[in-house]
Amino acid sequence: MARMKFLCDADRCIECNACVTACKNEHEVPWGINRRRVVTINDGRPGERSVSMACMHCTDAPCASVCPVNCFYTTADAVVLHSKDLCIGCGYCFYACPFGAPQYPRVGNFGSRGKMDKCTYCAGGPEADSTQAEFVKYGTNRLAEGKLPLCAEMCSTKSLLAGDGEIIAQIYRERVVKRGYGSGAWGWRTAYRETIAT
Amino acid sequence: MMAFLTRIRIAVGALALLAIFAALAPAAAQQPTQVNPTAQAVNEAQLFKQLGQIDGRCTLPDQKACLLEQPGGRDWRQFSEVTLPWIGAISILGMLGVLVLFYLIRGMVRIESGRSGRTIVRFSAFERFVHWMTAVCFIVLAISGLNITFGNKLLLPWMGPEAFTAWSQWAKYAHNYLSFPFTLGVVTICLMWIAWNFPSKADVEWLKAGGGIIGKEHPPARRFNGGQKLIYWIVVLGGGAVAITGYLLMFPFWGTGIAGMQTAQIVHGIVSVLFVAAMLGHIYIGSIGMEGAFEAMGTGTVDENWAKQHHSLWLEEQKAKGKVADAPPSGRMQPAE
Amino acid sequence: MLIKRTERQARRGALAQTLSSQSDAGLDRRSFLRRSGLAAGGLAALGTLSLGSVRKAEARMPAKAGAAVTIRKNICTHCSVGCTVMAEVSEGVWIGQEPGWDSPINRGSHCAKGAAVRELVHGDRRLKYPMKLVNGQWTKISWDTAIDEIGTKMLAIREKSGPDSVYFLGSAKFSNEGAYLYRKFAAYWGTNNVDHQARICHSTTVAGVANTWGYGAQTNSYNDIRNSKTMIIMGGNPAEAHPVSLQHLLEGKELNRANYIVIEPRLTRTAAHATEFVRIRSGTDIPVIYGILWHIFRNGWEDKQFIEQRVYGMEDARREIEKWTPEEVERVSGVPGAQLERVAKMFATEKPSTLIWCMGATQHTVGTANVRAFCIALLATGNVGSFGNGANIFRGHCNVQGATDLGLDIGTLPLYYGLVEGAWRHWGRVWETDYEWLSSRFHTRDVGGKPVKMMEVAGIPSTRWFDATMMPQKQVQQQDNLKAMMVFGHGGNTVTRMPEAAKGIAALDLLVVADPHPTTWAVLGERKDNTYLLPICTQFECDGSRTASNRSIQWGEQVVKPIFESKNDYEVMYRLATKLGFADRMFKNIKVNGNEPVAEDILREINRGGWSTGYCGQSPERLKAHMRNQDKFDLVTLRAPKDAPAEIAGDYYGLPWPCWGTPELRHPGTHTLYNTNLHVMEGGGTFRARFGVEREEKAPDGTMRKVSLLSNGSFSVGSEIRDGYPEFTYGVLKKLGWDGDLTAAERATIERIGGNNPDSVGWAIDLSGGIQRVTMAHGCIHYGNGKARANAWNLPDPIPVHREPIYTPRPELVARYPTLPNAVQFRVPNIGFDVQKAAVDKGLAKQFPLINTSGRLVEYEGGGEETRSNKWLAELQQDMFIEINPADAAARGIKDGAFVLVTGPEMPAGQACRMKALVTERVGRGVTWSPYHFGGWFMNVDQRRKYPAGADPIVLGESINTVTTYGYDPVTGMQEPKATLCQIRAA
Repeated sequence: MARMKFLCDADRCIECNACVTACKNEHEVPWGINRRRVVTINDGRPGERSVSMACMHCTDAPCASVCPVNCFYTTADAVVLHSKDLCIGCGYCFYACPFGAPQYPRVGNFGSRGKMDKCTYCAGGPEADSTQAEFVKYGTNRLAEGKLPLCAEMCSTKSLLAGDGEIIAQIYRERVVKRGYGSGAWGWRTAYRETIAT
Repeated sequence: MMAFLTRIRIAVGALALLAIFAALAPAAAQQPTQVNPTAQAVNEAQLFKQLGQIDGRCTLPDQKACLLEQPGGRDWRQFSEVTLPWIGAISILGMLGVLVLFYLIRGMVRIESGRSGRTIVRFSAFERFVHWMTAVCFIVLAISGLNITFGNKLLLPWMGPEAFTAWSQWAKYAHNYLSFPFTLGVVTICLMWIAWNFPSKADVEWLKAGGGIIGKEHPPARRFNGGQKLIYWIVVLGGGAVAITGYLLMFPFWGTGIAGMQTAQIVHGIVSVLFVAAMLGHIYIGSIGMEGAFEAMGTGTVDENWAKQHHSLWLEEQKAKGKVADAPPSGRMQPAE
Repeated sequence: MLIKRTERQARRGALAQTLSSQSDAGLDRRSFLRRSGLAAGGLAALGTLSLGSVRKAEARMPAKAGAAVTIRKNICTHCSVGCTVMAEVSEGVWIGQEPGWDSPINRGSHCAKGAAVRELVHGDRRLKYPMKLVNGQWTKISWDTAIDEIGTKMLAIREKSGPDSVYFLGSAKFSNEGAYLYRKFAAYWGTNNVDHQARICHSTTVAGVANTWGYGAQTNSYNDIRNSKTMIIMGGNPAEAHPVSLQHLLEGKELNRANYIVIEPRLTRTAAHATEFVRIRSGTDIPVIYGILWHIFRNGWEDKQFIEQRVYGMEDARREIEKWTPEEVERVSGVPGAQLERVAKMFATEKPSTLIWCMGATQHTVGTANVRAFCIALLATGNVGSFGNGANIFRGHCNVQGATDLGLDIGTLPLYYGLVEGAWRHWGRVWETDYEWLSSRFHTRDVGGKPVKMMEVAGIPSTRWFDATMMPQKQVQQQDNLKAMMVFGHGGNTVTRMPEAAKGIAALDLLVVADPHPTTWAVLGERKDNTYLLPICTQFECDGSRTASNRSIQWGEQVVKPIFESKNDYEVMYRLATKLGFADRMFKNIKVNGNEPVAEDILREINRGGWSTGYCGQSPERLKAHMRNQDKFDLVTLRAPKDAPAEIAGDYYGLPWPCWGTPELRHPGTHTLYNTNLHVMEGGGTFRARFGVEREEKAPDGTMRKVSLLSNGSFSVGSEIRDGYPEFTYGVLKKLGWDGDLTAAERATIERIGGNNPDSVGWAIDLSGGIQRVTMAHGCIHYGNGKARANAWNLPDPIPVHREPIYTPRPELVARYPTLPNAVQFRVPNIGFDVQKAAVDKGLAKQFPLINTSGRLVEYEGGGEETRSNKWLAELQQDMFIEINPADAAARGIKDGAFVLVTGPEMPAGQACRMKALVTERVGRGVTWSPYHFGGWFMNVDQRRKYPAGADPIVLGESINTVTTYGYDPVTGMQEPKATLCQIRAA
């Protein structure tokens, strides 16, 4: 069984934002919501690194744990998804998420912030695969078509890796061995409670 | 003297500024000759050690998006999932247990000398309105709030996800909207009754005597006894705290960041469950716990003997002012105070 | 990234299985759904009230059940990398993009722009129908009315002021066919005032490189950089400008543990991954390169054999280099000698080394000289003409290489045929249009009693059009001032000195903007009428080929029909030509469907005339075969193996030009130029013998001597002539006795062209391709085997010398390193010397102490109208900003993210540009940087209301070119936006 993960090789990421617009394009994500974003650490100084970040589909996901209405579920591929039909837009998952992944259509929480939206690992939602109903709420379901998330597939420098955790960790390890440096698998310790030993 | 100090301050500031420029000038004039950005790459573990979280720069105008990682979310999750339910369960169930036990042992506190038939105005219609508005809001807020923490454990299994979501959604609306009248009520209560609620020596005596409901002696009290003052301050301070933290959560990122909101939620959660526990005591004593107490907030009038028993000093004051009627006053009568 | 391409099928099965099987790992989707449904009804009914907001799908939705989804391949319309775009189309709607895994250029990757191109076609901010200004109001008109009115006005201007008064500004976004057609259109109209973005992009590169070794293009390819052991990126930020190229750079860096050296005034996203970062002062590229070469020669690291065999004039260069001691280099550029020595050693000894440059090098008054200095560095270290080395010049727009090749240039005809009679006659033969008629279309000017045929005089550069509009008529060396601008796909905010340009726009008699968007042209000047906007579709709504930076030509197929009322470039040109009365002549050999010329036919005409640059072998059929078989080409060599399908076997991907001979000859194209390690029929070559056979020069002892310009003992693999040789003509073939290899038909064609003197028919005008075929059959290259020139004697500075920018922050250096004297160039005066002198005299460097330099953002491109109208991109960059160092910001009380006012030395008094400050250490002290993609604000005034309703870009902002200043390269008219001055204050 695949255990899907994301890995951003910061030594490859050039903050080109392809992952961001690919996501927008694939899922018609509206203005103001960024399921994926790129953050640059130490901007402008030697050693600056950019990291593309979205929902990491954590092991024992904090969002799922704190959700008052239990709207999250984890697929057999370990993708953390949620049901917009069940979400009440309370914002708890946002407080708990270490990566700032959950987003809401509205800024205020007065009344409702709207249904939470986040990266689906291009795996849709609880509706039947690749249906209009699923698309409208969650975007396309690439995983069901045997494809991986488009952000990673379109990454300009093959920095963002998606796929089974074991395999992408192996790819990363080989890269580090080959090139002799690597600033680590960003977010892995927080998300998966493990790092990639190189 | 002042002028001298100011001058010194300016001088020190100027020196500091000079030092900054001095430090910068050579950097600009000659750059380090070994610049290897690859070898100098930032390291996640190191950043965590230094800062606890990682943020950087991003092009989105929403600067919140620049926060890359905040493992603090994990701590908050621990609170939300473990700590708060435990605090809530212990305080609320504990309070209920104490009350049940107390009722079994002590029973209802009776008016010892029986009803006199003469009544005295205790709370005006306005006071009662404010009280009940706040109380009703509080009950809805409490239930809808507890639903957030306990609902998915207690209600969800038998309601099913969709019904529970619908209920929770409405509960959330109620929680958000009723916060406004509740806050208004708390503020009004605060202003309306603050004059009688400054602690006094009598309160110490009153508390020492266990409020008269534990022992036999009824310590003298003015309009509000020590226990009521306690409730007053719990409402004012607790209500204020939940209101402020609640609004911080309702308007995300207004004056706080994600860490601030986590803190706000922690305060909101803890204060709320303690508040609920305290209010259970208040409800008990105002209803089945004490004969004649409910009337005070119900009709606004109390029996003179009840007043004598629980608020002897107040009764005397009222008598001195000539406010004690011989016959039961009509509900429409407006007290002067 | 997909783990392995071959795993896709397997994974699909596995995944489907996973989903259908009950798993014990937590809650799976099905049981989750089932559980959700358990308590449906009851309270759940309340949930039907609209509680939350679930966003609605817009254009995009999964294809309807049963509707077929087709994949169409096109090429990204943004930068020059040439990424394949895979468009999923259902029922005429572009519903999605998939990674183009098979393309060896991008292997599925995109940048922000490429991943968002679908929105260009769905964008509701597009210009929807033809419009014109009626008393200051945009009014909808029909295409027929538009073409008729425009044509009538053009003819009136021609009548009054002559053909040179109409300026044809074309586009690097044209397809090759569109670019070619536009150049042809200008020729049939009768002017050389035809230009495009290459002017402000790599015109200096083309001039510098072509003057060094023959052709003005990237010598190698993005993919080939994977072979480099040392790469220097100087004056470029490909991480933002060519993001997918970084895939090749970074993988190359990793695989070879290569040295990745970035030489820049700014710590860019590219520099963040460098192994060595050298911060220089803007505009001191020559001192830095000479500083490197100083160490190379001092330590004997130069490639002596290469210089001896293949380089002319290195001794002359060396004399100049010796002046640049480490002390002087540091004084001028700020770079310490020790660092440059380290760079020099890596570059010269850890080979192959490549030099990569972009507009940081080219956009200077010394742009051509910078490029020439880079070439000298490559020649001195023997780093040209092989794998992993070379001048890897990253071009800007998607087809700026092709548009340059196809003659959207004031100084050339298509494929670099000069403006001389022979070249005009060549194209006349290709077009089957009488030379006399063509020449009658042009004005002949009387200069002191001597007739000057404007047909043979280079036109006005796009950087100077407004000067030519507003200058006194006498100073403009043509019949009259410019009166009309025909702008096809070119932003108005990418040219410097915008306050002047705004006045120029106001002064025009006619302004026509043909573009998918209104562009800043539509809003910049104060115009009330005689202004037309024509909606042109994007290249995704059009068939055609485009040439990537590495000279690979890729065929893009129409993804969807043009949206709204937009039309493609070909059709608009055809309609206009019809109105102007030369459509029959111009489209004589091009099939026209209705009003739409057929792209394939245009390309065939290019093939028939494109001998000089090897655009003759890339027939539409071959290009389409390449697109069909993308997966067969190797990632590093770009070559299809011999056992690939016959239609592509042995070809280099995209038949990178030169692809010699007729398509039937099956030349594979040329992956790396001047590569003597390969047979010419395998893509090999030599330096072009373009500058003659020998040259008389003065020896150090004062005597004159003749020096050969032909290569000395170096030749390409399999050459039957084992030394240098000149260009081939029919006469040369005869002398060698190779003419017997010509077929009768070839010989007949040559003799027809040659008339009385068939021996003089050269390889470039032989329409049969016979000379090329026979020469290559003997292992030789028809353009000759010459030496590259370190000394390009025909340029203003034959050996590049450092010259301070016009507005320099170091006025004390001007006395020693002044700019070139004033001169008349390209029909207009260039008074750079006076401007520089005045700036020094007035002490402007004190009033404007900050260096103002500019560049690209990854989200936007060019003038930015198109990308700023794309909601997915616009969201990522919502404000114009200027980067400023924390020390400079602190001294001015400027906070990060706050608004500032920026002024330049040439801005009108009291005016300023308002933008946000980005306080960062990316820029050093005394340096500012800003992106040049913004427009729609002009000197603190929002111009949104001036756009046609609904066609305004989402994001508007000040253009940095409102602040930029005078300064033009003498060789090409290139502007100087990379090294000028400004001042900033808090707003």
